[in-house]
Amino acid sequence: MIRTPLRPLARILDARRKGENPDAIERENLRIRHEQMRDKARLRAEGRLLVMAVMFFCAFGVVGARMGTLAASEPMEPRAQATGASIIANRADIVDRKGRIMATNMETFSLYAHPQQMIDPERAATELVKIFPELDHDRLRKDFTGNRKFMWVRKKLSPEQKQSVHDIGEPGLLFGPREMRLYPNGALAAHILGGASFGREGVHSAEVIGTAGIEKFFDKELRDPAREGAPLQLSIDLTIQSAAERVLLGGMKLLNAKGAASVLMDVHTGEVISIASLPDFDPNDRPRPLTEGDASDSPLFNRAVQGVYELGSTFKIFASAQALELGLVNPGTVIDTSGPMKVGGFKIGEFNNKNYGPLSVSDIIVKSSNRGTGRMALSIGSKRQKEFLEDLGFFEPTPLEIVEAKGGQPLLPQKWTELSSVTISYGHGLSSSPLHLAAGYAAIANGGHYVAPTLLRQDGPRLGPRVMSERTAAQSLEMLRKVVTEGTASFGEVPGYHVGGKTGTADKPKRRGGGYYKDKVINTFASVFPTTDPKYVLIVTLDEPVETSGTKPRRTAGWTAVPVAAEMIRRVAPLLGLRPDVETRHLTGIINTSN
Amino acid sequence: MSYLEYTVKTVPAGWRKMLFINWPLVVLLTAITGVGILMLYSVAGGSMTPWAEPQLKRFALGLALMFIVAMVPIWFWRNMSVMAYLVALALLIAVEFFGSVGMGAQRWIDLGFMRLQPSELMKIAMVMVLAGYYDWLPMKRVSHPFWVLVPVFIILLPTFLVLTQPDLGTAILLVAGGGLMMFLAGVHWAYFATLLAAGIGGIYTVFLSRGTDWQLLKDYQFRRIDTFLDPSSDPLGAGYHITQAKIAMGSGGWTGRGFMQGTQSRLNFLPEKHTDFIFNTLAEEFGFIGGMSLLILYVLILIFCIVSALQNRDRYSSLLILGIGVTFFLFFAVNMSMVMGLAPVVGVPLPLVSYGGSAMLVLMIAFGLVQSAHIHRPR
Repeated sequence: MIRTPLRPLARILDARRKGENPDAIERENLRIRHEQMRDKARLRAEGRLLVMAVMFFCAFGVVGARMGTLAASEPMEPRAQATGASIIANRADIVDRKGRIMATNMETFSLYAHPQQMIDPERAATELVKIFPELDHDRLRKDFTGNRKFMWVRKKLSPEQKQSVHDIGEPGLLFGPREMRLYPNGALAAHILGGASFGREGVHSAEVIGTAGIEKFFDKELRDPAREGAPLQLSIDLTIQSAAERVLLGGMKLLNAKGAASVLMDVHTGEVISIASLPDFDPNDRPRPLTEGDASDSPLFNRAVQGVYELGSTFKIFASAQALELGLVNPGTVIDTSGPMKVGGFKIGEFNNKNYGPLSVSDIIVKSSNRGTGRMALSIGSKRQKEFLEDLGFFEPTPLEIVEAKGGQPLLPQKWTELSSVTISYGHGLSSSPLHLAAGYAAIANGGHYVAPTLLRQDGPRLGPRVMSERTAAQSLEMLRKVVTEGTASFGEVPGYHVGGKTGTADKPKRRGGGYYKDKVINTFASVFPTTDPKYVLIVTLDEPVETSGTKPRRTAGWTAVPVAAEMIRRVAPLLGLRPDVETRHLTGIINTSN
Repeated sequence: MSYLEYTVKTVPAGWRKMLFINWPLVVLLTAITGVGILMLYSVAGGSMTPWAEPQLKRFALGLALMFIVAMVPIWFWRNMSVMAYLVALALLIAVEFFGSVGMGAQRWIDLGFMRLQPSELMKIAMVMVLAGYYDWLPMKRVSHPFWVLVPVFIILLPTFLVLTQPDLGTAILLVAGGGLMMFLAGVHWAYFATLLAAGIGGIYTVFLSRGTDWQLLKDYQFRRIDTFLDPSSDPLGAGYHITQAKIAMGSGGWTGRGFMQGTQSRLNFLPEKHTDFIFNTLAEEFGFIGGMSLLILYVLILIFCIVSALQNRDRYSSLLILGIGVTFFLFFAVNMSMVMGLAPVVGVPLPLVSYGGSAMLVLMIAFGLVQSAHIHRPR
């Protein structure tokens, strides 16, 4: 930088010559230099200021533009995107075989609170307790006045409740929309449906998850968005389910039983048309499981699927069928059933200590002789007996599509001795569920094929592997028919439907220690109808029934389970579309008027 | 020795000074405060208590203080710059030990009649000391590395103290205000470019480190950033302020719901509705037009500051005026971006509108300094 000197000699000399003060020149030059420096600094400062002013106005512009976009935006309540969007609340409906709704969803509201935003928490608590008496007032007041920011009050509200809460006018009480599972038929088919509850919950939706029954078994499928709401169709027929449950309840009450179960199954497709267990519950308000005592006393317990019982003489038909199949006997073969008979040190006796003497195989079934079936079992041998029962599905839990089915694991003898063989042939020593028995009888009824029970609607027969010949099945069926026409199940006759079946009365094992109760029995009637062209099996089981119309209390299946089953068939057979096969003698009163 | 003191002869003296006050600026300040008091009246549900009345009294006190400060010659204040900085620094240290804890942070010293927030004082003191420093420093040394480090130290020392309180909002204002003053004073732009590049690189690195072994921030800190970027991801938690604020602005629309008709603010949906988030009340009740009008008032204040600084040939005065203008702008800009969801929520009030004593008084004193510089400018 070239500086102009403060005291340029020429000017100083010039000034001195003119008699002026040379210092004035220096001051003047100093002033000019300062001015120049300042102007330079100013120029720079002004440049900087310009940059900053531009920045400022950019910032103002951004703020202004943002204000404009916000003002133009529609005021939107925040939607819970992260907490709610991932929750899929669209659960598929469940319908019966005719498309009638068994389970569906309903829009409802949950009630939650933001205590921090309450105007009058005390009043809100008081008013809420008026609407929901089950809420604890003190607890609510404490929660509302404390420093909680958020709390659920109720998970589901009825429209009336919602209006009442709305009328409190408390801004800290808020509603969140959600779907809930609704079972419009109440307790009907409760054990099949099971129940549902809320999984992950958000303010704007909640996840519905199955907690039991088919809801839990098919939980994933029901929630699968790819289903697009296509309903799950079951094999159940609601009308028949309803009739069966009615009859079963009536029978259970009449016969003072503490529980009852029934299974109605299509013998060709394995479709379970109705399956009932009593006592039952309302899946809309599923009770809590018992915390103490026996789980099988809970209404949640599914006796038809989870309950494994010694099913007594109903098993005898399997022993005779196998003996027929193996060619050891034919229906007319006479077997001596007289006592005494000892196997493995145990005496095998008959009901009421009877002694039937020599009986044909057919009569052994009709009269239900323990010793007769025992002798057949001995000639079959335990190995072959085991294989046969395994083929009939008695070794594994039933494959029914409800989660509880896995709990129905049959109880097998630890060592399959000769004694086990004999007792199992008449239904003791092996416990299984009524559903197992239904599958076993279906094999006889459908001509010899195992058929797996299912709750899903099928389009055609679904026969499994053959377990016995058609001939054996036909002969066994004939015996079952005879049990009704001339044997222990005479109450089972339903005119026109040709019922065949076998009774079973098993003493209940004591819960503690060994042995059996003398006065507690499980009565079972396993039936097939119509025997002329078998289509359905029906199992009815009563827990601790007693028939008291006579002088002595009667506890045999012929007096308890059989009449209940017969009534059930009478009611449901027409609903199933079966026409009664009216025999001509009933028509004698009709005069043929045409020529 | 500044150029100023040689030319005092032309500076007005005595009560004549009142004539030379920048009156339009006074009118603007009063107008903005008036808007604030109107809003405080509204959020209290149409009542002077608990906010509007104390705010009015504080404004009256602030106005008086502004005139007193304006009457005192600016060279006196320049000589007080270093002292003011040291006192503010001492108070900041004192607040660490004797301060009262409020809202989870230690910020106040209780003086009995009012609670003093030393960090507010520091905002002004720092502007003063930086203006004084660059007035003293010859122009050619301004960009020398050592002479750049000195103001950096002046800025960072109080910033660190404020951060430990913790008060992120004020810390940001201090750093940004100080930095902008250095820029205005003419420090070489390469320093700022380097800083900017380093900042962007740093942020990029922080985000790059997410989910790796050498993650630089804690998970919850990342989540906060997420919430800022997308408040709707947590509408009831950390994003609550912003979401509700946006609802308020959106429901205001272009013309607003009308005075005292705001629902979001009146029904307690909006937290901090009388302090940091008061702008939302305004936007809801007076809409875009109301918000824009306030914005224009702020722009006018800034324009008056810039014009006054340009008129002033004294370096200290012009730097001081600009520094105060910048601080005022930063207050406003950070608050506005915060309530409109453009920036994360840090506690910065809307100047002169938000309810709050220290901020109002300090701002009025600051504008007193601006007026003093304006009255006593060399002519």
